[in-house]
Amino acid sequence: MMAPVLLALIVILGAAGTVLYLASYFWGGLLLIAAIVLHVWRVGLLKGSGAVRELVRRSLRSAAVPVFGIVMAILLGGVVMIFSGYNPFVAYGALFYGGLARNWHISVLNAAPLIFTALSVAFAFKAGLFNIGAEGQYYLGAMAAAALSLYMPIPGFLAIPVIFLAAGLAGAAWNIVPAYLKMKTGAHEVITTMMLAHVARYLSPIFIRAFGGDPSTSTHPYVTTRIPEHTMLLRFRAFLPEANARLHTGIILAILVALAVYYLLYRTSMGFEIRAVGENRDAARAQGISVGRNIFRALLIAGFLAALAGFNQVNGLDHRLFENLQAGYGWNGISVALLAGGNPVAVIFTGLLWGTLDAGGQYMSRTTQTPGAIVEIVKGIILFLIVARYIYTAFSNWRKRRRSRAVNVATAAADAAGGAVRGEG
Amino acid sequence: MFTLEFLTNLLSATVRLSTPITLAAIGATICERSGIVNIAMEGIMIMGAFFAAIFAYTTGNPWIGLLAGVAFGGIYSLLHAFATVTLHLDHVVSGAVMNVLAFGITRFLMVLIIGHPGTTPAIPMGLGRYRFAIPILSDIPVIGRALFNQTPIVYLGFILVAFLTWFLFKTKTGLHIRAAGEHPLALETIGVSVYKMRYLGVFISGLASGLAGAYLSIEANVSFTEGMSAGRGFIALAAMISGGWHPIGAFLAALFFGFADALQVRFQVLRVVRLPEELFIVFPYLVTVIAVAGLVRRSRPPKAVGKDFMIERSED
Repeated sequence: MMAPVLLALIVILGAAGTVLYLASYFWGGLLLIAAIVLHVWRVGLLKGSGAVRELVRRSLRSAAVPVFGIVMAILLGGVVMIFSGYNPFVAYGALFYGGLARNWHISVLNAAPLIFTALSVAFAFKAGLFNIGAEGQYYLGAMAAAALSLYMPIPGFLAIPVIFLAAGLAGAAWNIVPAYLKMKTGAHEVITTMMLAHVARYLSPIFIRAFGGDPSTSTHPYVTTRIPEHTMLLRFRAFLPEANARLHTGIILAILVALAVYYLLYRTSMGFEIRAVGENRDAARAQGISVGRNIFRALLIAGFLAALAGFNQVNGLDHRLFENLQAGYGWNGISVALLAGGNPVAVIFTGLLWGTLDAGGQYMSRTTQTPGAIVEIVKGIILFLIVARYIYTAFSNWRKRRRSRAVNVATAAADAAGGAVRGEG
Repeated sequence: MFTLEFLTNLLSATVRLSTPITLAAIGATICERSGIVNIAMEGIMIMGAFFAAIFAYTTGNPWIGLLAGVAFGGIYSLLHAFATVTLHLDHVVSGAVMNVLAFGITRFLMVLIIGHPGTTPAIPMGLGRYRFAIPILSDIPVIGRALFNQTPIVYLGFILVAFLTWFLFKTKTGLHIRAAGEHPLALETIGVSVYKMRYLGVFISGLASGLAGAYLSIEANVSFTEGMSAGRGFIALAAMISGGWHPIGAFLAALFFGFADALQVRFQVLRVVRLPEELFIVFPYLVTVIAVAGLVRRSRPPKAVGKDFMIERSED
């Protein structure tokens, strides 16, 4: 009776808290905390206190890896700073203040495209594929979004959904060739998508020149004209007066897409098939699952997701297409996906973390009078984060092996003892 | 237009442009023959290029730079060996992290040593200045002038192709490396450590990729620029596959990619057809895709490549 009402309350609190928090209303965090407390209470109400204990233990365990990784990385980064003559306390102070408070909106702006590209890489991972060329699909998405926004007479309310879909489809189309080759000849997608990413990068200047460029800017062959108002993504400012003027709702879209990807992977038969192919191709084939078809599907969906980052960049942030559009989201998306262990929901958090470190690093370099250098240290920390996780997996592998060996020894001992007992009797 | 002069220059450029790809590709061949997938060549090349330029810049001696590039390429590749062989991590994931890491490390060190990211100052003396014409051979028209009037690392590349082919197929260690990639269990059974062979395979690949990086920064150019490998590590991977996991095959495939690149530059300069220049730049990348797609079916990878090998030691 009370349970559905509670669930609705949790969802509403969570959603409102997320939107407010991301729009720099930090008290939105209180709503999020309230939602979490209610959720725990609801679990206790429905399934008893044992379930609550289990839930808490499981969340703590899944938080252990990332927290350990982050702490390790920060410590290592501090050591690097000391050795290269910077004060880690001042630097980290600026980093966290800049990334988490002062320039939080930049962190959020950074995170949105990273979440899209990381989702793309993570999705391909689940199918046992490595979409290393997400950068190329990102460019394609941006070009398609710009072309449609500028030249397609789409009525107002339809514009955003149509452009969203078309940009994604452009990225998916860009992956048709690697997907087909992978399916038919086994050509490795690491090579084909990577090479096509280089091709896509060189297509954007051709594209911009073909569309004339914007004569009102000094760099006009390298940037298109501004897209019309009705094709721009809604800004937080429109309904929250204190939000930053540039902060757009792309991040909300990214989170919704991440949840959709999670649903697709874990709640649909298509997702099951894709994961089965990723886990073990032979076993999947034995189950009657078509390996080729699922590889094809997975790479196309990965292309779709990466291209959404391009849509986000053009229709959300820049409102025009630059030749060198904040390149690197595709490559960084690989790191974000690896950091999240390929989990689409975790990608939201690692994407935000990455964006925060980038924004904080910029703030740090601006305020601490050591331009460039400190940002690079931050980049170093980010890389260490991955390595830390790396070491952790290896460590847990090693421990698992040790434990299984111990179990083997124990059973062997027990067998021997049993044999001795039987021998006696 | 298609004079003898043009042909000679085209061939000469082909050899020059293919050198880094050749070096990385033959290294990768050894590496994959030992059973380890290596997509980290891009990163190793960047490391090699960076350290070669830094050492050549600070000491003023390009030969020391060359050694440093090779050495740091080798050292850095050991990280990949450690991750994949000892820690049993996924080869592709490790390679991807190695690439990201290499960009970060070089960028950070560059800010630390030079003071800014981007490009290092020009080294006082590049290896490109040491052009040797091999006496009699270089007098052969076209081919002789293209092949035997080159710079040091280009020659080193020729020598390495021959040497590594001999090493892989005619020596006992080479046999063991191949066995580690085909049937690791059999190798372990005859008492040879698969781990050691795989470490060796990755290390050789690291040395070769480091040399390829040194070629880029101190022979073909006179400074290190961030991201200067521009996908060559991946083109080398394609060359290795197209070459059927054989050093000679990899060399020929690399020459082909070098040819596509040389042709691209010439088309762009000659303006044979009026097209945006970017369309020419992407030509080698497209050729790579086509080559991988067309040739992959005929070549067979080592049986155990990419497969983790773990020895279950029993405690008795």
